[in-house]
Amino acid sequence: MVENKIEQRRNSLVWMENISKKFGTITALQGVNFGVKKGEVRALVGDNGAGKSTLIKVLMGVHKPTTGQIYFNGNPVSINSPKEAREIGIEAVYQDLALVNLMSISRNFFLGREMEKKVGPMGFLDIKAMDTICRKSLHEIGIEIRSAAERVGSLSGGERQSIAIGRGVYFGAKVLILDEPTSALSVAETRKVLSYIENARERQLAVIFITHNVHHVYMVADSYTIIRQGRCVGTYLKGELSEDDIADLITGDREE
Amino acid sequence: MGIIADKIAITRHRLSYFPEVVVLISFSLLFLFFSFFAPHFLTALSIGNILTFGSITGIIVIGVGILMISGEFDLSVGSNFALSSYVLALSINGGIPVIPAIFMAIIVSTFLGFVNGWIVTRTSIPSFIATLGTMLAYRGIVRAVGGGNFASYKGEDIPLFKILNGDFILLNSWFQVQAFRTSMIWFALLAVIFIIILMRTRFGNWVFAVGGLSAAARAQGVNVNYVKVMCFTITGFLVAIASVLQFSHRLSVDPLRGDGIEMIAVAASAIGGIRLTGGFGTITGAILGVFLLQMLDQGLVLMGIPIQVFQACIGLIIIISVISNTYLGRSS
Repeated sequence: MVENKIEQRRNSLVWMENISKKFGTITALQGVNFGVKKGEVRALVGDNGAGKSTLIKVLMGVHKPTTGQIYFNGNPVSINSPKEAREIGIEAVYQDLALVNLMSISRNFFLGREMEKKVGPMGFLDIKAMDTICRKSLHEIGIEIRSAAERVGSLSGGERQSIAIGRGVYFGAKVLILDEPTSALSVAETRKVLSYIENARERQLAVIFITHNVHHVYMVADSYTIIRQGRCVGTYLKGELSEDDIADLITGDREE
Repeated sequence: MGIIADKIAITRHRLSYFPEVVVLISFSLLFLFFSFFAPHFLTALSIGNILTFGSITGIIVIGVGILMISGEFDLSVGSNFALSSYVLALSINGGIPVIPAIFMAIIVSTFLGFVNGWIVTRTSIPSFIATLGTMLAYRGIVRAVGGGNFASYKGEDIPLFKILNGDFILLNSWFQVQAFRTSMIWFALLAVIFIIILMRTRFGNWVFAVGGLSAAARAQGVNVNYVKVMCFTITGFLVAIASVLQFSHRLSVDPLRGDGIEMIAVAASAIGGIRLTGGFGTITGAILGVFLLQMLDQGLVLMGIPIQVFQACIGLIIIISVISNTYLGRSS
């Protein structure tokens, strides 16, 4: 079984304690405890509408929790916007929303953090440097691209996910949140994306892998947190439960 | 067959990186057509007229084009144009010195552009509707203030106006015509500045991202509303510049001034390869679109074809251009 709350708070890189979130009269989350350690892939699994996205939006500073506290490196933090989340090193990769298809790979890679060359008081994009660094840093984590000027729209779904993950790694993310990263991918592409996730774990990143289908995450997850109807069903280490056990807990066919 | 199909696909893919391809081809074809069939088309007078009249619309199209790349429309540019001209005319006639009067016109129009952006981002209603509303509202103000009358400046010559939009003496004396005006210099300057801003600055990158997929831009920390409000404000500013330049030449304005310019601007942008849903296109393309329309207008007049045909031609060209642009764009 997993450690108790105080140990988890101390040992986790990011730890969300007793999180509740109400929207008007609707309770989306009720006393959820959730976290992830350095070099760990934590699966956050639950059916559609179980509260996975709400929980992550609380972590990303999109929603303010009604009650509860977030800890980063054991210290209480308050995250009020995705920008603040990113500043402390929490990076989210959303399925289909990660990249702008009509823009080039390197423009996407540096979106919001563009490199500039200063000419007097004016700053101009350093496109050459961005292209070079983009190519190089993707290469370093095993992602090969033909040209950094290529439009993202002409890439496959897996390549897009990889680039979004590579971007997070390059910009020094400590916590990488992946929202259904493999659910729209072919088997071969899934395998590739999973290998980048393993690569991120080897680099001691904390990875949160969100999915409604435990099959997608079973190969890489070190531990699972299952939520159902806004409540935490439980957190289990790899090997404690079979794939079927987890699937049953997600749907509520079996009670703990 | 397979090889040919592959070749077509590859070419299509390559061409899809250049939003101006379609407008460049149609511009060239139309130019050749008029050169052969429109009498006096290939003269300095005719070319000068196209450039001179296209410049005023062109300045507005820079703004509308950027705005469309960010995924928004501004239908109020025509009304705002008239309003700005009235502010300038009535201020000068009211005894305010020229430079402060120009500043007032610019500030008012820029502010009205900002108001458009503010309404759109605050209420999240589509800009098509929001600016349809402000189009009527701004026009209403113009008509209330202007009544049915022209506002004309009849005082002594203003030297500043000669610089802003006077004879382009160098070209006119070179070609022995009275067609080129200095407004085209300001237009060229503004075009270069805004092309650089769009293609080579962080802000420009955000404009494309916001128009391409605003949720992705937001997720990367781009302040989507700021970018949109800025694009509306830039449009208002450019509308003001265009109105000041036109007034410097004509010295008068009527309550219906600028009516329909919003449609020409959207048409030029669409012909020029800017996607109506945003995220893709260039200012260069939109500018080529403006000059294509101006050339069409001029060419048909020279051929003695009735003006109604002009509208029909615009309609046809828009549809063909957008179909072609979509064909190329889909290949990505």
